[in-house]
Formats: sequence, C-alpha cells, structure tokens
Amino acid sequence: MLSCRAVVQDADRLLAGELTWQRRLALKIHLLMCHHCRRYMRQLRVLIRAVPLMHGRANDEQVSEIMAHIGSSENSEH
Amino acid sequence: MNSDQLEQLKLGDQKLFSQLVRDHHHALIALATPIVGRTEAEEVVQNAWVKAYKAIANFEARSALRTWLSRIVINEAKMQLRSRKREFLFADMGDVDENHDALADRFAENGRWKNSPSNWHVDSPDALLMSSDLERCLQRLLAEIPANQRAVLEMRDSSGIPFDEICNELTISASNARVLLHRARTELFKLVDHYQETGEC
Repeated sequence: MLSCRAVVQDADRLLAGELTWQRRLALKIHLLMCHHCRRYMRQLRVLIRAVPLMHGRANDEQVSEIMAHIGSSENSEH
Repeated sequence: MNSDQLEQLKLGDQKLFSQLVRDHHHALIALATPIVGRTEAEEVVQNAWVKAYKAIANFEARSALRTWLSRIVINEAKMQLRSRKREFLFADMGDVDENHDALADRFAENGRWKNSPSNWHVDSPDALLMSSDLERCLQRLLAEIPANQRAVLEMRDSSGIPFDEICNELTISASNARVLLHRARTELFKLVDHYQETGEC
C-alpha cells in the first residue's frame, strides 16, 4: 500500500486529474483506509478554494482611485 | 456576476465595473507582485484596469472574469519589465529541488503520519477565512514565500490560469511548476493547520 507521504506528494496531481488510472486507484484505496489522509485531502480542497478569496476586497477609496484613473485616461484620448 | 449583469458590464455599466474593481483589485496586485515587485505592481494593475475597461465589450466569457483580467495584468507586467529592460524577479533561479518536502517532519520513517493534520472544523472557504487573524497570517506568509512559488500559486489557484500557460508565461518546466505549486500550497496548509490547532500564526 502507498504511504501517507506518497499520497500527500501526489495530492495536487490527483486533484488536477493528472495521475494514471493505476496511480489514482492506488491513492483512492489508501484514502478509503486512512482517515488522516482523507482529512488532509478534504482540507486541502477547502484551502485551494480559499486562495482566490484570500486577498480580500478593495475599499471605496481604492475603487474610486481606479475609476478616476480610467476616467482621466479616457478624457486624455478625446 | 450573472449573465444579465455581464451584458450590462459589457455595455459599459460603471457601477458594475466598480464592483469588478472591488472584487479583483487586491488579487491582481498579488498576481503582479511576484513578477514586477510590490512597488510597481500598483502601477501595472492600474494600467491593466484601463485596458480592461476598454476591452470589456469584447469579453467572450470563455474564461472566468478573474482569469481574463489576470491575463491583461500579466501582459502589462511583462511590458513593464521590457520597458525597464528587466527580467522576471526569479528568472535565473534554475532547477527546483524536487526532493525538498515541506511536510517531511510530519511523517515517520515508514511514511505514515507522525503528526497528522488537525481537524479544521470548517467545510467551506468562507468559513476558513472568517478569522481576520488568520487572514493576516496568510497575507504575511504570502509576502514571505519565494517569488517563484507565489507566482505559480497566484496564477493557478487565484487566477485560474491553465498549467501549460503558466509554464509558458514564466518560462519554467512543467515539473518545476508542479513542485513550486505543491510547495506553496504546503506552506499555506502548514500555516492554517498550525493556526487551527493553536490560534496563532
């Protein structure tokens, strides 16, 4: 059986669908039997989905500054 | 943004464009930072917004808006580097050590977990980022990880750019890109895991 360390090393490729079916099967079998690795995979998925949200949103001042910059660049062209 | 709003956005709706800026501006600065450096990232993204505003009518929704905006930022960042006759910040880092394993100390010699992940008690990204302390910890970590790791992480996980495109843009091999992404994700995982267990960074 695969080691937990091997599962962690292949986790990204499993999520990206880049593993051969044999390797994928070996990982799935391991995951059926190992609750630590199941937890790792579940939490890694949540973490990856959180990355696009990690930077937060711009505040009013920043939005106004960008919109003003767009406006002034439009005006300079006309 | 739903399809009606997208059509309005393409017709030049200022309010919806402001919403776009609000939702994506910080992520785009984070994307430009490992390419041109923090100081110039703001200028690059500001210029990218002007180009995006002019081009939004032609957005065909073949990719997510974040991905489309990210491509404009990357092009703008590359133009900036060319105009200053500069290379990527991490251009000459060479091959990446594939044997480096950031979680090595968490495994026993037989490869089983010695120190397994804690239970985060969250089932969604929003729940994970509820804590402003954790958000600050993550921001600090992102600023500290090497630029090549951060570039791949931002492009793949935040901007949704396909892997082969990332390799082309950064002129790195696919195996190096995979190692860099794995390493960046592992650093984030370690930080969140530690935070969930101790309440500290």
